[in-house]
Amino acid sequence: MKLLQKTIRSYFIYSVIILLIAVPVFYYVIQGIVREDIDEDLLNTKELLKPKISDALRNNSIDQLKFLDHDITVSVTSASKEFDTLTTVEIFDTIAKELVPHRLLTSYFTVNGKPCMLQVKTSLVDNDDLIASIVKVQVILLILLMTGLFIINRNLSKKIWMPFYITLQKLQNYKVEKHAPLSLPKSSITEFNDLNTSLQELTDRTHQSFVSQKEFSENASHEMQTPLAVFQSKLELLMQTTPLTEEQALLMGDMADVAQRMARLNKSLVLLTKIENSQFADKENVSIKVYIEKFILLYQPQINEKQITVDNKIVENEILHANAALIEILINNLIGNAIRHNIVGGSIGIKLHRDRLIIENTGKAYPLDKEKIFQRFQKESTDNNSIGLGLEMVKKVCNINNYIITYDFVNKQHCFTIVFNNSTIEMQSSLVN
Amino acid sequence: MKLLIIEDEKELSKSIVAYLKQESYLCETSADFVTAMNKTESFDYDCILLDISLPDGNGLNVLKELKANNKTDGVIIISAKNSIDDRIAGLNLGADDYLAKPFHLSELSARIAAVIRRRRFDGNKIIVLNEITIDTVAKMVAIHHAELDLTCKEYDLLLYLVSNKNRVISKNAIAESISGEGADLYDNFDFIYAHIKNLKKKLTAAGCEDYIKSIYGMGYKFTI
Repeated sequence: MKLLQKTIRSYFIYSVIILLIAVPVFYYVIQGIVREDIDEDLLNTKELLKPKISDALRNNSIDQLKFLDHDITVSVTSASKEFDTLTTVEIFDTIAKELVPHRLLTSYFTVNGKPCMLQVKTSLVDNDDLIASIVKVQVILLILLMTGLFIINRNLSKKIWMPFYITLQKLQNYKVEKHAPLSLPKSSITEFNDLNTSLQELTDRTHQSFVSQKEFSENASHEMQTPLAVFQSKLELLMQTTPLTEEQALLMGDMADVAQRMARLNKSLVLLTKIENSQFADKENVSIKVYIEKFILLYQPQINEKQITVDNKIVENEILHANAALIEILINNLIGNAIRHNIVGGSIGIKLHRDRLIIENTGKAYPLDKEKIFQRFQKESTDNNSIGLGLEMVKKVCNINNYIITYDFVNKQHCFTIVFNNSTIEMQSSLVN
Repeated sequence: MKLLIIEDEKELSKSIVAYLKQESYLCETSADFVTAMNKTESFDYDCILLDISLPDGNGLNVLKELKANNKTDGVIIISAKNSIDDRIAGLNLGADDYLAKPFHLSELSARIAAVIRRRRFDGNKIIVLNEITIDTVAKMVAIHHAELDLTCKEYDLLLYLVSNKNRVISKNAIAESISGEGADLYDNFDFIYAHIKNLKKKLTAAGCEDYIKSIYGMGYKFTI
């Protein structure tokens, strides 16, 4: 859930709850107040009528006592108690032809020693209508108030959190190897300024350690070359010495193999640091087909040695706008791996079609670990010639060019698929063919 | 034959000198830019081995100076910087070859021999070793004056062995010279064995003495 959604959701829930509670409470409170008012009114009427009734009784004209108001009736009863009752009753209205709620005061009292009953009623229709109108207006006001607050709050939050979102976006685009300064905007909010300053320092430190690490691996692999060259040369001179026992010769042979491996490893490391340092920046139009065919031809002796069948299907050639040396490294490593990790009598399938290159080969009967396969020194084979940097280099080249590389194990074939970024592909196959 | 080795790593130049003493080369060494410039100005060499990164200057300037003075010394750049740019820069400046460190001494020896052959203007580009005659221009081999039919690989292999005659060449060096970068794609060194076997068979069948000796555990030696 997004930050703004989260805060706004809380506000929304609170508003709805308040609305749901406030409306009925408000309704009953208003109703209560109105009732009280009416009751008071009825009792006042009674007190006003009492002297008139007393006069009528004295004149024995109680039966003639008529009021213009139909809401008042007086009668003589036999009950001797004095009390008032207030009730709400539904009385049939002959004009409106429906039941209409009324407030009814029934009062028993004694005037001049004679017990009387007085009934005064008043219609509640107008009052109820009033209450309903008041509540309606109130509800509309409440809703307006809340939506207004809601919108203001949202806009305010957006404005307040804006620097945060800018910072977030800049961080997402930040690449330690490129290290363009973050240049985060100044904010009027102290916390955001603190955050930005901390991030600036953090990225600077990260970049510095990245650079020093890069320089170290670069220097280390470079500095290794000379001692390696000396070692190899001394070993070759040692081989020329006589007499040599078989045991010594065997040891020297093994040493030569290891020296060779060190040299190869060193060469790959140098190349890898070069790729990482983006030293292959010049771009040109590169034909993949040319490189595929070049390396198949170059490695033909190795392919023949292992009796590998190569099925090369170039449906449509791709012209990539990329660095030629990088593409060469990419194709070289993929085809090299397909040969190295193959079995005798195996097969290699190469398909180049539109935006994707698929290289599949037979090999180990089980799938490789998809997660680890592109990591350096993740060797699957015990083959000493495999130094575990090839796929790392492949991955690096793909990253630089925004290609997507995936590994799958389909039909007992190890399958590497590269999807070239569509935007960089120029369909110029006709020019090359 | 006079050689100048411009290399700041003394142990490496010592090794090179020791390895090349088998050939009738006269080797001089120079460990810094200044002496290198002095020597190349004063003397002519058949081949100069030039390290680019010298403590007091760029080796490429030695090369520039040579070319500016119209000197015809053969130059092989030996550099720790195995970058395409350096290679192209070196070769564009007129270097004859480029070898990245670390390298096999046998490879260096073969390259020096090739450069010297190319530089020779007396037309003597033919190597004669007893009954073997190698025409390095036509890439032809003859035994007892009878032409021998060799594959490209076999010819290269023979030339490599001959360039390092009487010295043990490691299997790794042979593998690299035969298949370059692809050497590590082989599971083992059987392919070298196969090539050597074929070459030996062809040579002996043509009446050539068996000069190619297998050195147990290490490699091969062309003994003459």
